[in-house]
Amino acid sequence: MPKALIIDDSSTVRSIISKMLTSWGIASIQACNGQEALQKLSTECDIQLALVDWNMPIMNGLEFVKQVRQESSFKEMRIIMVTTETEMHQVVSALEAGVDEYIMKPFTEEIFKEKLNMVGVIG
Amino acid sequence: MSELDETIKEFLVESLENLEQLDRELLALESDPTKIETINTIFRIVHTVKGTCGFFDFRKLEKVSHVGENLLDSLRSQKIAVTEVIITTLLRLSDTLRELLANIEESGCEGDGDYSELVGLLTSLNEQKITLTSEAISINSKSEGSVDESSVVLLKTQVSEEGQDDELQRMFYAAQSEWQNASSLEAPGAAAVPESSQIGAAENQAPSTVADGSESPKVSESKKSELSESSLRVDVNLLDKLMNLVGELVLARNQILQFTKSQNDGEFASTSQRLNLITSELQEGVMRTRMQPISTVWNKLPRIVRDIAHSCGKKVVLEMQGKETELDKTIIEAIKDPLTHVIRNSVDHGIESPEKRLAAGKGAEGVLVMRAFHEGGQVVIEISDDGAGLNTERIRAKALEKGLITSDKAASMGEAEVNRLIFLPGFSTAEQITNISGRGVGMDVVRSNIERIGGAVDVASNPGKGAKFTIKIPLTLAIIPALIVTTNNNRYAIPQVNLLELVRIEGAQLKQSIERIQGSDFYRLRGKILPLVYLDEQLGLSAANSTKSGGGILNLVVVRADNHQFGLVVDAIHDTEEIVVKPLGRLLKGISAFAGATIMGDGQVALILDIVGMARKAQIAKKEAAAKHEESRSNDEGKTSERKKMFVFELGTNKRAAVPLDQVYRLEEFPVQALESAGDHIVVQYRDGILPLVDLRGIYGEPPEISEGSLRAFVHLSGDRFVGFVVERILDIVEQCVNVERPYPKQGLVGSAVIQDKVTDLLDLSAILQLAELSPKHSFDAREAR
Ligand SMILES: [Mg+2]
Repeated sequence: MPKALIIDDSSTVRSIISKMLTSWGIASIQACNGQEALQKLSTECDIQLALVDWNMPIMNGLEFVKQVRQESSFKEMRIIMVTTETEMHQVVSALEAGVDEYIMKPFTEEIFKEKLNMVGVIG
Repeated sequence: MSELDETIKEFLVESLENLEQLDRELLALESDPTKIETINTIFRIVHTVKGTCGFFDFRKLEKVSHVGENLLDSLRSQKIAVTEVIITTLLRLSDTLRELLANIEESGCEGDGDYSELVGLLTSLNEQKITLTSEAISINSKSEGSVDESSVVLLKTQVSEEGQDDELQRMFYAAQSEWQNASSLEAPGAAAVPESSQIGAAENQAPSTVADGSESPKVSESKKSELSESSLRVDVNLLDKLMNLVGELVLARNQILQFTKSQNDGEFASTSQRLNLITSELQEGVMRTRMQPISTVWNKLPRIVRDIAHSCGKKVVLEMQGKETELDKTIIEAIKDPLTHVIRNSVDHGIESPEKRLAAGKGAEGVLVMRAFHEGGQVVIEISDDGAGLNTERIRAKALEKGLITSDKAASMGEAEVNRLIFLPGFSTAEQITNISGRGVGMDVVRSNIERIGGAVDVASNPGKGAKFTIKIPLTLAIIPALIVTTNNNRYAIPQVNLLELVRIEGAQLKQSIERIQGSDFYRLRGKILPLVYLDEQLGLSAANSTKSGGGILNLVVVRADNHQFGLVVDAIHDTEEIVVKPLGRLLKGISAFAGATIMGDGQVALILDIVGMARKAQIAKKEAAAKHEESRSNDEGKTSERKKMFVFELGTNKRAAVPLDQVYRLEEFPVQALESAGDHIVVQYRDGILPLVDLRGIYGEPPEISEGSLRAFVHLSGDRFVGFVVERILDIVEQCVNVERPYPKQGLVGSAVIQDKVTDLLDLSAILQLAELSPKHSFDAREAR
C-alpha cells in the first residue's frame, strides 16, 4: 500500500487530504512544516509521495523541496506542491526545485485523483 | 455529509485559534510596523483561512479573506507601508472573520451580513501603492519639473518637525495628489515617468527580495508544535462530568470515613484510609485538568485596551505579569466581564490624555499593568494604572448627592473608605457612563459578579499617580469551605467567604441588645447597628415578624454581602467543612436564597445559602439606612454617639475657644512677678524646670500687656515637654458631640463648633506651637520637671 506525507500548517487541510487519500487506499502521516517533515522522512523509510503546502512557518514548502531533493535517498519520492493562487506566479521556482506536479487549493477529489495519476502514485 | 461536518468543525476550531493570534500579531505590528516576521505571520493566518475556506462553500469568508490577503501581500512585499488606518482595518477584518465563523458555528451558514464596505476599504488601501520610504520622497522632490516647489518644502519641514508616521503619511498623500493634479495639468508626460518607475521597481524587486524563503524560524511556534505532541484536546463536557463524578466520590468517601469511625475493624480502617488518600489525589488531579492559564482571558485585553485608547485619544501600554497563573475554567469564564470592565474603566477614567500627562510631567503613554499571582489559596489579580487616581472629593460629593451616605458619614469617612463608594449600587450614573465604560454597567456590577464567585474587589488610589484595583478570587468553585448551621431541623451551608463572626446572645443581654426600629430587629454589635435576618422567616418556614426572643438564646452568624453586614439568626451553629458544590435542581434554581446544594457526610442534602441574594431579598440596605437615619436623629437630640470632653475658655471678649480635655495636663495660675524672659519667649519656673508660655490671646491679634495680677494658663504636654498656654478666663469642661465646621481658614484653628449653644473656636495646639517656634525641640524636657 502506498504511503504519503502530508505537509501543511493547517490541520483542516491535512485532514481533508488525509481523508481523500484514505478513501483511495493510501495511508498517510502528517507534518505541520518543512522542518518537521524532514524529521519524519528521516525516520520513516517508505514514503512514496509528499504533498507540500507552500506557506508554512519555520520552514516553507519551497525550502523543504530544495533540501529533500539534495538527498539522493528521496530521489524516487513524488512531490506535489499544494499552492494557492497567491503562489501561482512562483510555481516555476517550485518546478525548478524538483517538484513533480502542483495542485491549487481548493481542489476537488477528481482533480486530486488526476494529479496522483499524473505522478504515477495511483493508476 | 457528516464527515464534512467534522472537517468544518475542525476548520472552525483552527481558524478561531488563529484569529486570536491574529489580533495579538496586529497589535505587535502596530508597535513595530517594520517587523517583517510579524507581517509574514499575519499574512499566513489570513492566507490559511482563505486557502482552507475554499474547500467549503463559504463565499463571504473567501471574499473578505481574499482582499485581506492581497493587502497583506502588498505589505509583505513592502509595496505599501503599515499605517494606523491599515492596522485598524485589519483588526476589523479579524472581527469580521470571527463573526462569519461564529455564524457558521451557530447555523452552518455565513448569515446575510453585508461586508462590501470592508472589502472596498481593504481593496482601496491596497491600491494606494505608495512606498513611504525616504527614497520615494526624494524621487518626488527631485522631479522638479512636475512638483510644485512650495509643497515639497512644506512636506520636508513637516516631516522634520512632526516626525510621526501618521502626519507624515497624511502630508505625503496631500503632496502626492497635489503633485498628480499639477502634473496632469502642466506636464503629464514628465509626471508619469517617476511614478511608474517607482512602482515598477517595487514590483520587480518584490519577488526576489521578499519571497517566501525569507521567513525565519520563530521560537513561539516551534514551542507550540512541541506542545502539540504531549497534549490533546478534551471535550469540556467530559471534564465537567469527571468533576461531578469526583464530587460524588468525595461525598461517598466522606460517608465511608464516617462509617469507619463506628467500626472496630483495623483492616477496614486502613483500606478506607487508603481510599481517602487516593480520592484526594484524584480530586486534585481532575481539578487541575480544569485549570486554565489566566492568559486565556487576558489575551483579548490588548485589543480592547487599544480600541478604547484609540476612541478616546489616549496612548496606553498594557503590561502583563503572571500570564501563566492558573484558574478553574468556570472562574475564568466568570471573571471575563468584570475584568474587561475594570480595564475599560482604567483606560477611560484613570489614564489621562497625552496632553494632560505631559503637563503633569508624565510620559505621553499611560501604563496599565495587570498582575496575577497565587496567594494563600486564592488568585490575586491587580490592575494598576499610572493615571490621575480617583477624585476622592468628587466621589464623596456624588455619593452624598445621590443619598448613598449621610453628610455626617461623609465627613467622617477616610479617603480609602470614600474611594470604595464607587462599588455601591447606584453610584455610576448615566451621565458618567460614557459609551466606553458604560454599556449600562457600573463598578457595582463588577463587585457583585466577583462576590458571586466568592471573590472580593478593592481599590487603592494615589492622587496624581494612579489607581490600583485588586481582585481576589478562589482557585475553584467546585469545593469550598462552609459553615454548617441548622434551622427548623434542616441543615444549611454558609460559604466561608461570607462569614465575619459568630455571636451568641443569652438571657438578659438578649432583651437589652435587640432594638426594634421601623418594624425590623437590630442588634448593636460593639456600638454598630446590625440588621437581623431570621433564616426560618426568609425561607418561609415560619411567619414573619413573630417575636423570637422567647427561647432565651440567639445564635447569630454575622455575614457580609455587597457592602453590608447583617446578622443571620439560626437555631444552631455547627462545624466548618469542605463541601462539594452541586448545582441546584430546576425547581430550586429560581430561589434567590440558595446558591447550590451539597451532600453531607451522612448522605443528607444541605442547601448552600446565597448570602448576597438573601441580603437583596431582605432589603438589608434599606433597613440599614432606616436604622442609621433613626440613629442620627437621636444623635441630634444628644442621646448617644461619640461624645467628647472639651476644655472651654475665653481668649478675650466674646472669644470662646476650646481644646479636647485630654490635651490639657494641668491648670495653673502664675503671678506676673514670676515671669521671666528667655530669648524670644516668656518663661516661668515650674516644678524645678523652665516652662515656656504661649499667650493664646495672640491668635486674634496682639496679646494684652501683662502688668499685674496673675496669668491663667493650662499646661500641655507636647512630645515629652511641657508648654503653658495663657488664656483670659477658664470657662468650663463640657461633654458633648462636636461637629467641626470650617467657616474660614485660620492658622492655629482646627475649625469651630457649637459648644453650649455658642460658637467656639477649636484650637490646633501643635500648629500654634509651630507658629511660636515652640515645637518639641524648643520647650524644656518634661522629665526634668517631674
Ligand atoms: Mg499554509
